[in-house]
Amino acid sequence: MTEASAHVRVENLRKTYQTRRDEIEAIREVQMEVAEGEFISILGPSGCGKSTLLMIVGGLLPLTSGTVAVGGESVSKPRRDTGVVFQAPVLMPWRTILKNVLFPIESLGLREEDYIDRAHELLEMTGLSGFADNVPSELSGGMQQRVAICRALIHNPNLLLMDEPFSALDAMTRDLMNQELLRIWEEYKKTVLFVTHSIREAVFLSDRVFVMSPRPAVISEIVTIDLPRPRELAIEETPEFNEYVAHLRGLIEH
Amino acid sequence: MANNNGDSKFFSVAGQIAGPTAIAFLMLVIWHLCCVFFAIPEAILPTPVKILATIFKHWELLAIHTWPTTSECLMGFGLAVVVGMGLGILLAFFPMFHNSVYPLVVAFQVVPKVALAPLFIVWFGLGTLSRVLLAFVIAFFPMVVNTYAGILSTDPLMVRMAHAFSANRWTVFCKIEFPNALPYIFSGLKIGITFAVIGIIVAEFVTAQKGLGYLIVFAEGNIDTPLLMAALTVLSIVGVVLYAAVVALEKLVVTWDVGQDLH
Repeated sequence: MTEASAHVRVENLRKTYQTRRDEIEAIREVQMEVAEGEFISILGPSGCGKSTLLMIVGGLLPLTSGTVAVGGESVSKPRRDTGVVFQAPVLMPWRTILKNVLFPIESLGLREEDYIDRAHELLEMTGLSGFADNVPSELSGGMQQRVAICRALIHNPNLLLMDEPFSALDAMTRDLMNQELLRIWEEYKKTVLFVTHSIREAVFLSDRVFVMSPRPAVISEIVTIDLPRPRELAIEETPEFNEYVAHLRGLIEH
Repeated sequence: MANNNGDSKFFSVAGQIAGPTAIAFLMLVIWHLCCVFFAIPEAILPTPVKILATIFKHWELLAIHTWPTTSECLMGFGLAVVVGMGLGILLAFFPMFHNSVYPLVVAFQVVPKVALAPLFIVWFGLGTLSRVLLAFVIAFFPMVVNTYAGILSTDPLMVRMAHAFSANRWTVFCKIEFPNALPYIFSGLKIGITFAVIGIIVAEFVTAQKGLGYLIVFAEGNIDTPLLMAALTVLSIVGVVLYAAVVALEKLVVTWDVGQDLH
């Protein structure tokens, strides 16, 4: 990858938290280069600082030292061309599904009318077209998280940050959501940074997997997943897939 | 299907009303029978029938005094809503304000506000101003506390979500914190409206100019217990109607599912 083509570039990133007694080092040293349209997973054990890394890239947390650049511009606050999906759907219970999806349009100060068609298109894409006028409490957890994905895509961002978006879902729903996410990604070709602690999920989804060590975090290895696309769930039964899984498990257990 | 739904809704509402109505009616019957059976003097306890008759007989007098009670109650309540919500929002917005002002608000709450009534007469006279201000100081506290608590109860992740989509402080307040606080604010409104009625009645006792509170004291002075009870009945109806109006407004505004703890 050439210098110019990197969509997301993280250099010498260090993040420490100040507690009353001492300083906690969450991230020691992270380097990343992500190309436009790449699907990247950040894989690591719980509490290793991978969510912190994602929030820093999203401009939602300050960094201690180093640089984070998206599209060649240094990130200091949330960017208008980034969409974020969190661990929980965080939908507003007082809004309909459609109005929840349109929230970024309001907060970005764009014209809502221009995006209503796109909102319906995204809802249809994620199998929620009949639910535009429902309220969040009428939807299952998986459906709510799909709404959150629609919301993250509504303003047509070119970078999608996903912080363990499916970790609260049951295994079967999770498989479905992973497939659906790939379908959406094939359709829109956004750059995706996907944080997860599920090895299978990371292998299934990604072009490359960044493996993070336990705190204080460094990227211990970058594994390129050379599996054909488009991928279906059946790929999880292939020896190649399971070799990647075994390799990554070995890295994490070290 | 929709029709079925409507029917079951009708029956559940009817069921909710039928129970309390039946019990209330039964108690009135027992009351009436006790008065007759034990020959209780009218000056001690008039029968429900006598009270009803008194209401019809003196409806004009009651109406004349109902109006100032209701209007002054709404003025005091309205003032408490505006100032209380305003202060609640300021407290939530400015942490410094919280540290310096909130302890004072809480300390003020410990003062039994009805005891301020004589002082208000000294300061503001025997007129409407004194009564409205007493209703205001009583209804004010639940408005501040509930508005403040409602804003603070906002899920921090939802605020972070809004920030992720470049929301500024004002957008976060208008689109997230304020709607999130609405169920709490309505709890405050429901407490506030009942408190405002108490404030007005106590103020009417003390200022003794007009209103149902004044009528109660006046009837007591004449040992006209049926009139006293008639005024009390009308006062209760005013209180119920005002409360029901707040509940109806809540049903219109808070249409989403709120956690059990708020119901």
